[in-house]
Amino acid sequence: MGPNGGGKSTLVRLLNGLLVPDSGEVAVAGHDPVTEPFEVRKRTGVLFQNPENGLVAPFVEDDVAFGLENLGVPREEMRRRVAEAIRSVGLSGYERREPHTLSGGEKQRVALAGLLAVEPEVLLLDEPTSMLDAPGRREVLRRIGGLRRSKTVLHVTHHLEELLEADRVLVINGGRLVAEVEPGRLMADAALLEENRLVPPTVPRLAADLGLGSCRTPEDLAGAVLRRVWEGSGAEIR
Amino acid sequence: MRISLEDVWHVYSPGTAFETVALRGVSLSVEPGEVLGIVGGTGSGKSTLAAHLNLLLRPTSGRVLVDGRDALALRKSELRRRVGLVFQFPEQALFAPSVEEDVAFAPRQMGLGPEAVEERTAAALGVLGIAHLARRPTRALSGGEQRRAAIAGTLAMRPQVLVLDEPTAGLDPFSRRELLGVVRRLREEGTSVVLVSHDLDEVAEVSDRLCVMEGGAVRAEGTPEEVFYGELALAPTTVRVAARVRESAPGLGRPVSYDETLRSLRALIGG
Repeated sequence: MGPNGGGKSTLVRLLNGLLVPDSGEVAVAGHDPVTEPFEVRKRTGVLFQNPENGLVAPFVEDDVAFGLENLGVPREEMRRRVAEAIRSVGLSGYERREPHTLSGGEKQRVALAGLLAVEPEVLLLDEPTSMLDAPGRREVLRRIGGLRRSKTVLHVTHHLEELLEADRVLVINGGRLVAEVEPGRLMADAALLEENRLVPPTVPRLAADLGLGSCRTPEDLAGAVLRRVWEGSGAEIR
Repeated sequence: MRISLEDVWHVYSPGTAFETVALRGVSLSVEPGEVLGIVGGTGSGKSTLAAHLNLLLRPTSGRVLVDGRDALALRKSELRRRVGLVFQFPEQALFAPSVEEDVAFAPRQMGLGPEAVEERTAAALGVLGIAHLARRPTRALSGGEQRRAAIAGTLAMRPQVLVLDEPTAGLDPFSRRELLGVVRRLREEGTSVVLVSHDLDEVAEVSDRLCVMEGGAVRAEGTPEEVFYGELALAPTTVRVAARVRESAPGLGRPVSYDETLRSLRALIGG
């Protein structure tokens, strides 16, 4: 996490060898992305911020199959994995659509499906939900969450609520790593959030501004508000 | 200026195997000086609808009217100048070496003299809050700054209606807030803004009126209060909290924006 211009996308590009460090070293699964790009790229998958930048094939299913084709996966297995990936991002029925006719959110799902079909060891996701509506976002996050423990996921986002389940959150600002914290602690650290142009999600933010304890859902918060009202006067509450 | 859509249908690739009906009989209007939020799920027709407001896309059937006249009768250059359309990720279209040169491009194309170009460029940079970046190379800006530079380029044409398609996608929360501040400023100056977004929380903050799209048709229309309290499944977090509290404390009112919600909940707790 961190503000625009802080260095998040640059970091993603360094990890994939798209940028070369001026000094220092990068290692992905023990390989240098600059001198051994193939070793790194067959183990990593990147999802770019703007989905337009990742789509290459004439039809959705070809695009999703692209990565698998390059890895020489047998045809039958490829079919199965492509169909599963398309289904898992909620795009069944879109197989023969042309990517350029899709909406921004649909393109983003196609790009993610291409990545999920390959299931690389390392997934570099640069704002994978920036174009998605709330249900789409939940679906994609559930799919990414399913990769926990078996894959390494680097998830760049501006939405704190997307990282509640993360093992670690790195805050990057001004080209520096300024903090490495658990998501819960980051959420509670008003100064750290403020310094790095981060805003907590609406529910915890309202709860904090109202002086109520930690709440996660709108229902929790409504309950806490009503309890406080009831303690205060008790009169008008049914 | 008022833009109305009358029973607009739009079909992509008609008559081919890839035929897709994107709009199904949409009727709605953009009133002078208002902020109209267009919301809806992925693929619901929001961007297709937005592109009809300046006839970048023409209706397959139905009409687009500008102040009561068929928009097809207007000169295209005139229409595009009066209705500024900013695409998704518009910073990809930045091309000039510096911010001010990029922003000056459109007014110069309009045939304005150097003084007018300079004045409009400065004004647009001011509204977007990036006057201090005028001489910077566009490549040296952060994503949020680039986004604002790109919007300034369209604003420099002085459109009467500015259409923003997902203007905050990919921006950090502070940049998002700044951009919503720009929308408020434009409205104060009398420019209508059409804000296309999948983010209900942000639309709730600035819109006078909302149009909810679903499957290429208008599913609901009205003030944010009417739309959100009418159908909680569409509502942003603030309204979901307030609606739940109202079940037991009906005196709460119907707040929509964050500040309204905070104020009314505070009053309830305090009183």
